[in-house]
Amino acid sequence: MKILTRIKNILVPLSFGVVFLLLWEGAVRVFDLKPYFLAAPSKIFEQFTKNTSRIWDATSVSGTNALVGLIIGTILGIAMSFVLSRFSFLNQLITPLAISLNAIPIFVLVAVLNNMYSITSEIPRRFMVTLVVYFIVLVNVAKGLTQVRSTHVELMHSYAASDIEILRKVRVPNAVPYLFTALKVAAPASVITAFVSEYFGGLQNGLGSRITSNIANSKNAAAWAYVLGACLLGLAFYTVSIILEKITRKGETK
Amino acid sequence: MSAVEVIGASKIFNQGKTQQVDALVDVNLTVDQGEFVSLIGPSGCGKSTLLRLIANLLEPTGGSLMVNNKTVSQARLDQDYGMAFQQAGLFDWRTVSKNIELPLELKGWDKEKRSARAAEMLELVKLPEFADLYPWQLSGGMQQRIAIARALAAHPPLLLMDEPFGALDEMTREYMQGELLRICGETATTVVFVTHSIPEAVYLSNRVVVMSPRPGRITSVIDVDLGAKRNEDTRAADGFFRNITAVREALRGTQADHASANAIRGLEDR
Amino acid sequence: MKFARRAAYRTAMFVVSIFSVVAIWELYKIIGPQDGGKFFGVSVLPRANNTAMPHISTMLSRYSRPEVRGSDKKIWVVVLSGAWFSLRLSLVGFFLGTTIGVGLAILMARFKIVQRGLLPYLVMSQTVPLIALAPLVVSWGGKLEIGSFVWPRWLSASILGTFLAFFPIAVGTLRGLSSAPAAAVELMESYAASWKQTLFKLRFPAAVPFMVPAFKLGASGAVVGVVVAEISTGLKGGIGRLIIEYAREATGDPAKVFTAVFGAAALGLIMAGFVAISDVFFMRNRPKESSI
Repeated sequence: MKILTRIKNILVPLSFGVVFLLLWEGAVRVFDLKPYFLAAPSKIFEQFTKNTSRIWDATSVSGTNALVGLIIGTILGIAMSFVLSRFSFLNQLITPLAISLNAIPIFVLVAVLNNMYSITSEIPRRFMVTLVVYFIVLVNVAKGLTQVRSTHVELMHSYAASDIEILRKVRVPNAVPYLFTALKVAAPASVITAFVSEYFGGLQNGLGSRITSNIANSKNAAAWAYVLGACLLGLAFYTVSIILEKITRKGETK
Repeated sequence: MSAVEVIGASKIFNQGKTQQVDALVDVNLTVDQGEFVSLIGPSGCGKSTLLRLIANLLEPTGGSLMVNNKTVSQARLDQDYGMAFQQAGLFDWRTVSKNIELPLELKGWDKEKRSARAAEMLELVKLPEFADLYPWQLSGGMQQRIAIARALAAHPPLLLMDEPFGALDEMTREYMQGELLRICGETATTVVFVTHSIPEAVYLSNRVVVMSPRPGRITSVIDVDLGAKRNEDTRAADGFFRNITAVREALRGTQADHASANAIRGLEDR
Repeated sequence: MKFARRAAYRTAMFVVSIFSVVAIWELYKIIGPQDGGKFFGVSVLPRANNTAMPHISTMLSRYSRPEVRGSDKKIWVVVLSGAWFSLRLSLVGFFLGTTIGVGLAILMARFKIVQRGLLPYLVMSQTVPLIALAPLVVSWGGKLEIGSFVWPRWLSASILGTFLAFFPIAVGTLRGLSSAPAAAVELMESYAASWKQTLFKLRFPAAVPFMVPAFKLGASGAVVGVVVAEISTGLKGGIGRLIIEYAREATGDPAKVFTAVFGAAALGLIMAGFVAISDVFFMRNRPKESSI
């Protein structure tokens, strides 16, 4: 029974995917679609295998930027959320700001950051990723630390527990799932930000720049191959964040 | 003509699989027009399942069910019954009178007829001044009264109720029981009523159907000899306690042991 | 009344927080190193000089001066028309995204098989940088012809907005459509209501509280998609192009790029504002405690 559903859960999406790829390939061949519109999946795959090492180089550049920003942003975000949970005034001050930042295409700040550092530096991009990750983590973890069940806090008060003990026994455990919710959003966001940051000029060694330059040279199948690399990078980041969650929360019931 | 006729009905969930549950086995029950019948029994005895079979919300695995001499599916299509649940289940986004109009809307009534009927129903449940409020602005007891008004809006001859007062406090509950009897008396509605509460079943019913679990079945049917007219004095009458004792004794022995009651709870919660 | 006071308090806090950011900026200009600071050979501290970090007052006063020397076009006019251009593209993208997203959600709610086959890809599409497609899609502009219809470049930017907008809308709407309580679904069944009646009388109204936040995400997604498309391809007319252009002039006119950056921020806030207004409208008769 359970195994059957699991097989269904894999087989149905898989067949959807295969059908989609076949339709794509078929459409390109039957309608003779020009490569500037859509490249055939077979061509993309061919380009991907041919340029594996170059795609890997570009991916590792963008990936490193994303990873550095993700780690620093997460650490700073967690640290700040503890401060916010302690001082509700700061929380009221920063939360609306963080929420309104959600509505803003914040990555345009790269244009400014590029001027604040030297143009040949990866720092502006990493700074940008850090900033994006920081606010995602901050908002979620602060929520987890403050929105605890009042019965739990009352129970701890009835034990005459100190604030530190309440923090350790109630608030922190409550915030852990929030942290992983944040990471699942932040991990792909870090890749996307690292990648979009490359469109603002500076070093031309990452995935984003490679895609633009290949299109400029009308090598669209190659550009798609880099897009594929970008997708794999995004998936890898997301998968790692899910695995981390599974490991940390193994013992907990759902 | 009987209002409800259940002949040899069975309901088995997950038939042939390891988690097979015999929710109901060979149940026979006839409810006469204008009668008030309660179904009572411990968790997992299939009382809610039986109600859902009558409502045609579940298909029986065996036997047959009739409402007003029609098949239950035809009765559902013809809207021969109204239904009320433990949660009032009013729609937050509709005003009180729009909630009452919902079943009429689905039947395609025009606007004027609908609002006239909604006003009439609000008079019946004594809440006419709340027509334009939203349900979440009312108390739990008021919400449940609106739900009853909604169930009766199309003037169905039969009312099916699944622990409608289960979530109310004791005082509101007793008041609602009185109101329900008054409303059903005024509208001559037949009621099948699922409950956990022995006094509630006795106070309301002409007959109390006692059910037991594993497999779900009817173990006894008790005629309540309290007469047709009931009021707050009824609750202090000797006859009331005598009937309560009779139901309680019929229920004794139907109680499943604790472990299996838990095993079956999964089904009830479905 | 209590609600109004809380809103006023929030607004005040927001203003205070903006001023704090300004204060931190100016403070860093005083204490920060003029040519950047290094830790272990890595320059982590930004340059505090006026070229890299102009005074806030310089940024604001830049709005009243011409875009280029000698022109009589004030820069606030240019930024405003750029933001207006991008706003229109974002709106097109948002409405297309809403149509596709809500349509997909209905399909998925109706047919379990579609949900099972499609949902994993929808989730996956959010973890991969689909935005990478921006230059590709924009390159359709002017080249792609469907019958007599020549694909305009701006439409590509809107399509990217659609890309980023449809997913949160599809998922939020699906969650909302499935959120109708079992008892309410049973009630509709007991009325022998058709699937369509249940959809419009029950599932959609029940979905509204889920759809509003999804639309918020969708609206900001549409803005991001459009601005990225403009930036990555230099599409003319929008705020993205202005940012790129002005950033290049930063050594001579450092405040200029900030005027466009603020324009982009305003664009995002205006889109969010549209959704917030619809939120107030659609939720006006709902229980208030849920709208935290």
